Amino acid sequence: MFLFSVPFNNRSVSELLLNSKFDVNYAFGRVKRSLLHIAANCGSVECLVLLLKRGANPNYQDISGCTPLHLAARNGQKKCMAKLLEYNADVNICNNEGLTAIHWLAVNGRTELLHDLVQHVSNVDVEDAMGQTALHVACQNGHKTTVLCLLDSGADINRPNVSGATPLYFACSHGQRDTAQILLSRGAKYLADKSGITPLDLCVQGGYGETCEILIQHHGRLFQTLIQMTQNEDIKENMLRQVLEHVSQQSDSHYHKILISLAEVATTNGHKLLSLSSSYEAQMKSLLRIVRIFCHVFRLGPSSPNNGNDMGYNGNKTPRSQVFKPLELLWHSLDEWLVLIFKELERNRKNPSSSTSSTEIASLLLKQRESDHSDTTSKLSSLLDHQIVMEEAYADGDDVISMTANRLSAVIQAFYMCCSCQMPQGMTSPRFIEFVCKHDEVLKCFVTRNPKIIFDHFHFLLECPELMSRFMHIIKGQPFKDRSEWFYEHLLAGQPNSDMVHRPVNESDILLIHRDSIFRSSCEMVSKSTNEKLKQGIAVRFHGEEGMGQGVVREWFDILSNEIINPDYALFTQSADGTTFQPNSNSSVNPDHLNYFQFAGHILGLALYHRQLVNIYFTRSFYKHILGIPVNYQDVSSIDPEYAKNLQWILDNDISDLGLELSFSVETDVFGAMEEVPLKPGGSSILVTQDNKEEYVQLVTELRMTRAIQPQINAFLQGFHTFIPPSLIQLFDEYELELLLSGMPEIDVEDWCRNTEYTGGYDPQDPVIQVGASSFCFMAAVKN
Amino acid sequence: MSETYDFLFKFLVIGSAGTGKSCLLHQFIENKFKQDSNHTIGVEFGSRVVNVGGKTVKLQIWDTAGQERFRSVTRSYYRGAAGALLVYDITSRETYNTLTNWLADARTLASPNIVIILCGNKKDLDADREVTFLEASRFAQENELMFLETSALTGENVEEAFLKCARTILNKIDSGELDPERMGSGIQYGDTSLRQLRQPRATTTQNKQQCNC
Repeated sequence: MFLFSVPFNNRSVSELLLNSKFDVNYAFGRVKRSLLHIAANCGSVECLVLLLKRGANPNYQDISGCTPLHLAARNGQKKCMAKLLEYNADVNICNNEGLTAIHWLAVNGRTELLHDLVQHVSNVDVEDAMGQTALHVACQNGHKTTVLCLLDSGADINRPNVSGATPLYFACSHGQRDTAQILLSRGAKYLADKSGITPLDLCVQGGYGETCEILIQHHGRLFQTLIQMTQNEDIKENMLRQVLEHVSQQSDSHYHKILISLAEVATTNGHKLLSLSSSYEAQMKSLLRIVRIFCHVFRLGPSSPNNGNDMGYNGNKTPRSQVFKPLELLWHSLDEWLVLIFKELERNRKNPSSSTSSTEIASLLLKQRESDHSDTTSKLSSLLDHQIVMEEAYADGDDVISMTANRLSAVIQAFYMCCSCQMPQGMTSPRFIEFVCKHDEVLKCFVTRNPKIIFDHFHFLLECPELMSRFMHIIKGQPFKDRSEWFYEHLLAGQPNSDMVHRPVNESDILLIHRDSIFRSSCEMVSKSTNEKLKQGIAVRFHGEEGMGQGVVREWFDILSNEIINPDYALFTQSADGTTFQPNSNSSVNPDHLNYFQFAGHILGLALYHRQLVNIYFTRSFYKHILGIPVNYQDVSSIDPEYAKNLQWILDNDISDLGLELSFSVETDVFGAMEEVPLKPGGSSILVTQDNKEEYVQLVTELRMTRAIQPQINAFLQGFHTFIPPSLIQLFDEYELELLLSGMPEIDVEDWCRNTEYTGGYDPQDPVIQVGASSFCFMAAVKN
Repeated sequence: MSETYDFLFKFLVIGSAGTGKSCLLHQFIENKFKQDSNHTIGVEFGSRVVNVGGKTVKLQIWDTAGQERFRSVTRSYYRGAAGALLVYDITSRETYNTLTNWLADARTLASPNIVIILCGNKKDLDADREVTFLEASRFAQENELMFLETSALTGENVEEAFLKCARTILNKIDSGELDPERMGSGIQYGDTSLRQLRQPRATTTQNKQQCNC
């Protein structure tokens, strides 16, 4: 037993062997290995030779069926292997899994040893329990020289295993590019397995672009198969895209060919989508997937670096936009369809009762035909028949619109994607704008009939404010829930793994905040990080505290927002009732105030981006500023109700004879000193009269609510817009924005009581609960 | 996983309303007569893989609406079609008379190499015939069209019409008259590499040489 504790050396073995009673083939331990196994495993050649000389059985199998040769092969013990072979170790013995020594060498890519071994092997294609040969395993693991050695030793290059998988199949399933290359250049056949899965399928599933490219190089027709795969919804889009990306980068002609083919597939798909008998869901998804991939590959640009930036010409001096040509057929059909729908709309409008009247005519004609049985009138009747057909056909104008609206809208979405991928980021293509303008009426008709279309397909609206304004009134009419879903969907679009909530956080990305200087340390940490990182996720840790996770993030937003409105910073002033805030017109007391406002906007934007609520409620007018909605005099009431009342009074009453002596200027209090500010050029000499009082009210309002704090608002918005694009926030009104940013300002106690679950033996009638509930009600009443 | 074929041909079915275009397509694809067929709205789609002269060909067939109001939409599908079935109703002279218009559309909008077969449909309604076989075949000859009388009801000549058209296109490819690689030819190569590779190695290398060029 001391063998296991003492290092294996030949002295101890020879001592042991001197004892002639010792059985040299004695099997030790649970796995029943002989000393020869152990020597082979460790590579102790001297011991091995000693044992063999003493007559140890070189083919003794342990409990798993392994011989010493297996172990030597597995561990790459070259000398041991040579000695074992010298002593006639059988190279063809399989272990219990059917593996032979040659398999072990192939798994680990021990080409040199393999070279020695194959001289002794009668069949290099010996199969394991799964029908796999050494070549299979070498291919799977990508050992190039091993594969070459096996092939040179006559291994069957196309040998299928029990499931029909060939060595090429194995190489492809693991993305072994070089191995696949060797196999293909040696004439390996391209064979599917028994369930029809091909090597190309495997490459695409694994996203192995390089291996795919090798396959296509050798089997040109696979190119079309690869393109057709874009239509298969079972294939993961990101993997397929990765593969197509890689292949497109091989050369300009690859790039060109891939895009042209994708455009052709997309066009056929789009036309299928426009066939009413096809499945809307399936064809729509397929079209959009292909177009997404197409646009992605197009944006990458051709491989040659000298023309990477300009959207003009590739090496062959053919315009890059050439690849869009096949799609023109689809856009042409789309255009014709929309024109057709427009005509239908017009006809319906001109003749609103057409459907009823035409069916009446049809039934009349039918009756007439029924009464006519003589042969002489059969011609007439068939003419009438034709008439009926025409009439009936025109009765379904409404149907045509409702049946095609979804499908056409999806094609419009595809059209938009293709138009904008030719434009610099953030710009809408003039062609698309022209398209929307041309079909304005039809598109409005679509979305009025089915507003869901906006959220499903009209994403272009969010990226193009001038188009958005056309549809704004329809969008604003949609439920808040739908709009906020749309908002977040687009806000997070393009974020990798935006569906993943708990992403591992990099230690260096954690914002380390000091509680005693919340504002300053937060400012420092946030400015150190990048916007992209902050968008991906925020992790906060307070200095000297262990806590991490969403709770801490929530707390940070909570106390930071309290700090932002801290009167000591003079950034925000309270409204008259003290519950809401807006920028302080005198914040410039702090020379750095605009940076602070930008930071505040940054934090608010970040909070909204990550759906974190902040503990600030702003004045109605400030929400309007965020949304870009003009303020009116009633908004003044939130900061100065008395003043708002005065303005209201001026508007409501005839002021001509009151002698108010108001001019178009206002005195404002700047830290105690009164300053006169004109409302418009030369305002102090213009008197307010009955005729211009409305202008006065508007200008006064703007001064108090906007002009006085314009720099602050601008700075705030600059920060806010880094996370929240202005076009997106437009979807909401000022009340909804408050809800998104700060949540419900009031707690509905009744709703709370109604939806409370009582556990631990309490019930609604319990005195403790009753007291609790009534005190909440009381507090709510007091607050109101 | 995906069906294999040597070629894919884009086909159109055109002709006046009510001539039975959709029924022809239905009969060809489903081997059944389509009862209570409605007017086609826009363009419908069907496909079938057929065997023509030892080659497998996938026919991608676009069945267009005959009604005038869809004309501009259906016209936008003409480009890139390899073959077309031009259909009229043998019991309606009206539909026969409009053939010249349809033909003019096809000749101007589709590829100049488009192969057109004229189909006189509703052959089963011989009693109500208004257009004779002779007259139509003369028209076909003058305009270099192939011609068949078909019945979507009984299925007579329906398969033949599609196959004849496909066969002509294949012949044109073989003779070099048609180049499948040209954009807008309405012809695509399919993925037949699988099948070819199962053939003896000699042919495989041959194929490979072709691919590499």
